[in-house]
Amino acid sequence: MTIVTGKAEARRRVQPGRSGALRRIWQHRADYAYVLPAIAVMLIVIAYPIYYTVELSFFKTPPGLQLRDKTFIGLDNYTTILTSQVFWKVTWNTLIWTLGSTFISFVLGFATALALHRDFIGRGVLRAVLIIPWVISAVAASYIWKWIYHSDFGIIGAVLVGLGLADQPPNFIDNVSTVLPSLIVVNIWREFPFAMIMMMAGLQTVPDQLLRAAKVDGANAWQRFWHVTFPHLRNVSVVTMLLLAVANFNSFIIPWIMTGGGPSNASHIWITHIYELAFGRQRWGVASAYSVLLFLTLMTLGYFYVRALSGNERKEGSA
Amino acid sequence: MSTIAQTAPRAQARRRMRVDGWRWAGRIFLVFMLLYTALPMIWMLITSIKSGFAATQFPPQWWPDEPTLASYQKLLDPQNSVGQDFLRFFWNSLFVSTVTTILSVIVAVPAAYAFSRFSFPGRNFLFFAVLLRNMFPAVIFLVPLFILMRAIGLINTHGSLILTYLTFGLPLAIWLLKGFYDNIPVQLEQAARIDGATRFQAFVMIVMPLSTPGIIATAIYSFIGAWNEYIYAYTFLSKNEQLTLPVGIQRFFSENTTDFPGLMAASFMMSVPVVVLFLVLQRYFVRALTEGAVKH
Repeated sequence: MTIVTGKAEARRRVQPGRSGALRRIWQHRADYAYVLPAIAVMLIVIAYPIYYTVELSFFKTPPGLQLRDKTFIGLDNYTTILTSQVFWKVTWNTLIWTLGSTFISFVLGFATALALHRDFIGRGVLRAVLIIPWVISAVAASYIWKWIYHSDFGIIGAVLVGLGLADQPPNFIDNVSTVLPSLIVVNIWREFPFAMIMMMAGLQTVPDQLLRAAKVDGANAWQRFWHVTFPHLRNVSVVTMLLLAVANFNSFIIPWIMTGGGPSNASHIWITHIYELAFGRQRWGVASAYSVLLFLTLMTLGYFYVRALSGNERKEGSA
Repeated sequence: MSTIAQTAPRAQARRRMRVDGWRWAGRIFLVFMLLYTALPMIWMLITSIKSGFAATQFPPQWWPDEPTLASYQKLLDPQNSVGQDFLRFFWNSLFVSTVTTILSVIVAVPAAYAFSRFSFPGRNFLFFAVLLRNMFPAVIFLVPLFILMRAIGLINTHGSLILTYLTFGLPLAIWLLKGFYDNIPVQLEQAARIDGATRFQAFVMIVMPLSTPGIIATAIYSFIGAWNEYIYAYTFLSKNEQLTLPVGIQRFFSENTTDFPGLMAASFMMSVPVVVLFLVLQRYFVRALTEGAVKH
């Protein structure tokens, strides 16, 4: 990972003793020019908003964005959130949504990758078809599934009635107990291809010799998978699951378009709830405090994400 | 000896049977996944060629009695008010996505190169800071960005979207490209340097051409991301003539919810550009994603 082109390396060799931080930064001033545009955009659109969100979370804000009239109220917004019932309801939904979608998408994607690993006629076409849901817009996906789940003319309801499994078409997304699982099915439909791509790539890095050696030693298919393939894919699996978890934790479009969080908050997750608080009820302060809590949660996840990534890097460095 | 000779073929046969069992399980599973993936899309297409009346029958018509392309004609007809809106949304989406794509390549290429090649102080910190951006949801940034965009007069313009899309596309773009640069031997550049090229010349003339697949992949990724983005467009734009497709379709059909064939036709047409782009260039796309992620 420490590929260094000529000039920098030469410079370092010439002046080994002087290693003041400022001096090193000055020496590498030209290198920063390459990163500067990226960093500048990031600062405007990320650092400033984060600062502003934290600040707003300590204020009571009037509706409308007349933010000059805000008043400082300390931690009141946070107490409001943590003592409200909706918060715990929404947190529970978020947990089910994130863990359910992530785990099932990963397992389905991984299994598909394994099934597609052996070459057969039409494999490329099949793979391309399986990836399409991931490429199309989540808005389109939401509408397609909303239509499929439709309480009067939905195809699933019609099939269930046709097979005699239900007397009348069940109402999937207007029902408190079925709405969240129904939305998770849609989310998995869009997401398992991502896990599939990642795991397919991972599978290609599993050395063939190891598998053949295991076969010679008499390991059956399951043993070869469990003792050779799977350990080899540990890193890819961790990265994939983290990326999925973050994406799911942050998803907005599917619940927002399909149900808007209803019925009676049964499909509200953190993100949709925050959006509604901010842009629906114009409670900017509370919404900002929510965002800060979300931010802290994500930082924790982010810590593991970075650890998983740098774990990869270290492994590669030693190889 | 003789017993071994007798049992060996049997054990082998049993093992082959077990292997076949896994293979069959795999095939059945693939069929299941294919149905799960494809049936919703097929149902979208079938619905889109129904009339409004045929779509709202119970039990549904599995294949429309009178297939019609009326929904598509309506959406693509510039004389019709529906068609006017739809075509304008389509054009807006195309414009925003294209500009975003070009800009993000311009910004991401040098950054990824620097992260791959140079070891300046703070390199790792900056790299992970860029990646961490991926962690945070749009909603966290919405309120302050809305205020910021209003302050610099970009609200209700496509500029606000392009600037925002740039940042959420950049982390992955940089990550993908870095994977490519890591795989280009540094000796190639050193050779060019020896031949008298400056570092910048070596970068433009040697590294850039070699990383074309990565750049293509990055471009597709930003394009698809921008094309499908919803939440910022939903928040920043309020004027009808500026909406992009995802928001436009939503506004449009929340007013007349019963037109399911029209909605399905619109969903289909919104998906066509990205799916085609993806299918044509999928080799680059998959390769880049996996080179960045797996080999890192």
